[in-house]
Amino acid sequence: MASRKKPQLPKSVLDMKFMKKTKDRIEKEIENTQDIEGLYSNVITNEMRHASGNYISESSFVYCEDLLEGRLSFKGMNPEIERLMALECKKDDDDKSEMKKDVSDDILSKKMESFKKRKWSSSPSECKIKKRKNK
Amino acid sequence: MKISIGDVVLPGDYCEEISQVAEKSKVIIGPGLRKEVDRVYITKPGVLKKRNPSTFWVDSYQKRYVPSRGENVIGVVVQKAGDIFRVEVGGSITAALSYLSFEGATKKNRPEVQVGDVVYAKMLVASKDMEPELVCVDSHGKKGRLGVLSDGFVFKCSLNLIRKILNPNCPLLESLKNEWPFEVAAGMNGRIWIKANSMRETIAVGNAILGAEYLNDEEIRSMCNNIAAILAGHVS
Repeated sequence: MASRKKPQLPKSVLDMKFMKKTKDRIEKEIENTQDIEGLYSNVITNEMRHASGNYISESSFVYCEDLLEGRLSFKGMNPEIERLMALECKKDDDDKSEMKKDVSDDILSKKMESFKKRKWSSSPSECKIKKRKNK
Repeated sequence: MKISIGDVVLPGDYCEEISQVAEKSKVIIGPGLRKEVDRVYITKPGVLKKRNPSTFWVDSYQKRYVPSRGENVIGVVVQKAGDIFRVEVGGSITAALSYLSFEGATKKNRPEVQVGDVVYAKMLVASKDMEPELVCVDSHGKKGRLGVLSDGFVFKCSLNLIRKILNPNCPLLESLKNEWPFEVAAGMNGRIWIKANSMRETIAVGNAILGAEYLNDEEIRSMCNNIAAILAGHVS
């Protein structure tokens, strides 16, 4: 077949009375194919079609900006609040400081270098294979 | 005109950068932004800000507080009703603070809170459909920094000033903390409570905070030095 689409009847033919049933059938088909989106438009809104789960709405500034705790005391006005402030400061510092090492970095690098030198100083051709006493 | 981070934006603008980032990963849309059908629109005038990774918001000038969960606010007890206190926080309706939301409070052992007391509390429940609810205790049952604020002086300011002074980089509290002993509590609802040993010192701190609204870091430092010098001059 030359064309894929069904040959559409001209409008004048469809207007004739004996073609009424065919005309109704064709109109119903068009409505079904084109108007599906409009069908439940008040339930499935246009917004729901475009919704993406990647947006999180946040209405508070607390989670956006990095703010201090709201209550502060200075120079010993309220010892309890100052104690809490010191605890928080200490916790921040602890997070930032590095872990203590048993063997420090430079000692480790020196030892590793000397170890590697010892290992590769004797090349395979020089390796002496021990002769067995009892052969 | 293309909107980029750090620009001054007006309601009605949309930011394409946010939509582009959201195609690949989760994005947090903060206050002042709203997602319509396929774009992110700006709803408040201000400066568009970003925090890594992928948190965007608009820093706007606002004096009216809208209750929001998780924020620390300063409220005034206006009524005792049954098992709750009615606390006025500056929102559309008064918030409820239960008797049991204090450290060590039981049904027999009621907290000592009177009408007219100032409390520093945390918003537990806050949405635009329900009355807000406050607590003076954290999830471990400890008081922490919350509770009744006694003596002192409360005044109101804009919400962005609160956020400005609570910023770790702001030099205001750094400059004042070595001058004289004082205590300050800042509620995210635009109220600040100050307590110092004398009236002069309290008012000095209050003026320093209010004056810092439109100044940059350098000017804040010099203003604090001026105030400290004037006060030292008066005292001696």
